[in-house]
Amino acid sequence: MSNTNDYRDVWVFTEIKDHVEVHECALQILGKAREIADKLGQKLISVVLALDAEQYLPVIEEHGVDKIIYLSHQDLKHYHERIFTDLVYDLIEKYKPSIFLFPSTEAGNALAARLAYRCRTGLVSDVLDLELSDEFGNNLLIGDKPAYLGNIVAQIICPNTRPQMCTVTLGTFQKTKMRKENVEIIKVDYKFDKSKIKIKILEAPTRKDKPSSTLSDAKFVIGGGHGLVSKENFDKLFDLAKLTNGQVGGTRRPILNGWMPEHLQIGISGESIFSDLYLAFGISGAIQHLVGITASKTIIAINKDPNAGIFKVADYCVIGDANEILLGLLNYFRV
Amino acid sequence: MLKIFVLIKQVPSLHNLQIDKRTGTLIREGVENIINPDDLYGLELGLSLKEQYEGEITAITMGPPQAEFALRECLAMGVDKSLLITDEQFAYSDTLQTTLVLKETFDKIKDYDIIITGSQTSDSSTGQIPFQLSEALDIPLITDIFTMEIENNLFKCHRNFGHESQNISVDLPILIRVRRHFNEPRHISLSGIKKAFEKEIEFNDFNTFNCPEYLDGCNKSPTNVVRTEKIVLKRKNEIIEGNINEKVQKLLEIMQEHGIEKIWTGESF
Repeated sequence: MSNTNDYRDVWVFTEIKDHVEVHECALQILGKAREIADKLGQKLISVVLALDAEQYLPVIEEHGVDKIIYLSHQDLKHYHERIFTDLVYDLIEKYKPSIFLFPSTEAGNALAARLAYRCRTGLVSDVLDLELSDEFGNNLLIGDKPAYLGNIVAQIICPNTRPQMCTVTLGTFQKTKMRKENVEIIKVDYKFDKSKIKIKILEAPTRKDKPSSTLSDAKFVIGGGHGLVSKENFDKLFDLAKLTNGQVGGTRRPILNGWMPEHLQIGISGESIFSDLYLAFGISGAIQHLVGITASKTIIAINKDPNAGIFKVADYCVIGDANEILLGLLNYFRV
Repeated sequence: MLKIFVLIKQVPSLHNLQIDKRTGTLIREGVENIINPDDLYGLELGLSLKEQYEGEITAITMGPPQAEFALRECLAMGVDKSLLITDEQFAYSDTLQTTLVLKETFDKIKDYDIIITGSQTSDSSTGQIPFQLSEALDIPLITDIFTMEIENNLFKCHRNFGHESQNISVDLPILIRVRRHFNEPRHISLSGIKKAFEKEIEFNDFNTFNCPEYLDGCNKSPTNVVRTEKIVLKRKNEIIEGNINEKVQKLLEIMQEHGIEKIWTGESF
């Protein structure tokens, strides 16, 4: 086993979203990673792989990095499992980061898992928080991971192998705008032997089925449950969403009742939301639903039953008929 | 003949979950153990490939001895063979450790064409195994498939990948990760149950693997859980009082504070 002391610095895989912009989640992770790097007295380093990567560097420089290591090439326009894994692994071998953080996205999760195997190290997925502690070893990173359906937090360390790797979901940390003096920028030449690619792509038209906005991106989510009683009432959620630029979601029951399609389910086996505001109409608050809403900044719950579980996780509790309140709000927005 | 392997896991059922009001933890007693729901789609894919292309299908799980029951269920669905990897030394394995044991297993099996996994398990939900096993065995992982065909040793399929809808071809062996609701997992028939108890389950333990160095001795998982804590959700729990109009008014104020404004849709409802 290699000596953990040989490894230093905090790396963030700074994903580029749809070859358009730096992923918001990556910027948020940079905020937390800056804190960690300061405590360690080490550098915060952003790793970027993209087509025309130079265009994204100014934004990244505004978010507290000491150094950017990047590769720029046509082949890096989109995440490719073989190319990205091999290239980033080479960087790890060369520079030996102590901590490496990734956004919890389709590409980030895949890349982190593959690299963790290559490095024979641990990967903590979807951490809720990160801190450094001397409790179990010198300046070890402790990652808080939800377990047993989010009711328990498991604190996980990776004591003997490096890098210490974690993925982080959108909305977990806050980005901070700050600019370090003399940000060091390293361009690594792109070199990849394409004969290593085993999958042959015959054709690849752009997908048209990708929703332009999804529950997990929505800033305002309006949720409904069994308490709305009828499809007619549930439909009013969609009216309210249209008038307020919100996004409708719900519990399992409305799907079983035929009130909404399956992909709008929030919770286990559905989506998690990261909204600024969540408005829950007639939702009792089963744990299966609650685990999907806890990342929402503010939660308002409306339910007839004062003992409904949802009130325990709500910032504002309205005890009353969800349908009446919904109608009242609609009347305001309709005028 | 196509050699198909489906990876499954036994997990606690998530239906009728009960929380211990005193400790705030999940009550595990009396909770039924089931096949991880996502894995059923993998089993169905494996069974339908076997029917279409002639092959042999084996279910593999790693877990405590009682996971044998989950394998019996697979056998009842129509799986030909099953393998339970179980040993106290493998308890509390993290994903890396699990991947290394699975790599040893497949290196020993040697002859495999398609390995199928679900998206993630309902208990630990890391979703890392398909990617890590793809690295470990150095075979491609194909995700989000919607149509497929196999010709000799060539696997052709349509799949969604990122922003693209790709038409790809790849030589076997491969790993397939099946998405949720990809198919309709079959029900177990009475004759299937009867057959399930006539079939044998193979057991592998620590000693089966010639004790490779990295599996030697006690558990070598790189990650350790050092503590578990109950999540305390810090929320205001402020009760909004008043008559219906007052409540609506207060909600509108909170919505405005969060930047939610009336937008003109040009439609009337």
